[in-house]
Amino acid sequence: MAVRPVLRYPEPVLKTLALPLEPGPHAEAIAADLVDTMRASPACVGIAAPQIGESVRAFCADVTGHRRARSQHGLIVMINPVIEASEGAEVIREGCMSLPDFTGNVRRAAAVVVRGLTPEGETIRIESDAFEARALQHEIDHLDGLLFLDRVSSLTSDVFTRKRYDTPPSR
Amino acid sequence: MQLAVSAVGLDRPGIVAAISRVLLEHDGNIEDSRMALLGGHFAVMLIVEVPDDTDPVAVEESVLSATAGMDLVVTVRPVAHAASDHLEGTPYVLTVYGADRPGIVADVTGALARWDVNVTDLATHVLEGKIYVMIIEVSLPAGTVPGKVERALRDAASGVDLSFHPVEAETL
Repeated sequence: MAVRPVLRYPEPVLKTLALPLEPGPHAEAIAADLVDTMRASPACVGIAAPQIGESVRAFCADVTGHRRARSQHGLIVMINPVIEASEGAEVIREGCMSLPDFTGNVRRAAAVVVRGLTPEGETIRIESDAFEARALQHEIDHLDGLLFLDRVSSLTSDVFTRKRYDTPPSR
Repeated sequence: MQLAVSAVGLDRPGIVAAISRVLLEHDGNIEDSRMALLGGHFAVMLIVEVPDDTDPVAVEESVLSATAGMDLVVTVRPVAHAASDHLEGTPYVLTVYGADRPGIVADVTGALARWDVNVTDLATHVLEGKIYVMIIEVSLPAGTVPGKVERALRDAASGVDLSFHPVEAETL
């Protein structure tokens, strides 16, 4: 268990399709590092395995107490996630620890149903909306080598994408 | 050395291709840029890193000759290296809209300037029916009370609608 450095683009692993992960001790070890790394950054609400250099399909997320959250499942740790259903759309300005200095308006589903396994191999299914749904979609994108820049909507609806601030906007 | 390059002309395909090709031939690297269609004119603003011995006049002449027939207004000028484009303060977005009248931009940005609020991005557009829309991103200096700036903006922009809210980016 350890806090790992969060890799930044252009680390190739961030643009690589991550491989499925067998449940078991190896998956549990990666999951533990994901959670430790997420918890180490106060504003972090989720992190995917490629961001800590592991090209496998695992992530964790926790939006507890976030002002934009509605559904709140607490700590979610999932391997081999699949989005089973999604509905609605919402545009929110996103940033990513692997792409510091950038934010962009990203359209994502407003609600999703995600199914996957716990690191121990138990099937879990999460119905999620609002900010939690966004976090899940953002992390699952990482497993497919997608960064939020791959998702920005058109420039006209995305007027301000390149502002950099030394101190992050208050949240 | 950095050059500020601007070009404006009636929109047509090939403007960006012609300008960027010429800059490349001068070993220029386009850094930050913004290009947009404004009222049927295509406007180009670029900051370009070029070798220190580059002659800006020669670059301007090359751009003009490469875009001959496009009838662009072109300027190429050396600019000082900005220390950093990192911003301090809190980002806010100001939206102003209403019936078009001369002076909206001057009134609103005048109020911002009096409060030492820095404009970091601004776009305006006249919609059908002469409705004017302006979206400004600003940087609020530390210690500034947003409500006071908003009141000053409402006083300055009488007769138009206005909203002022923090930029809320979510780090995931």
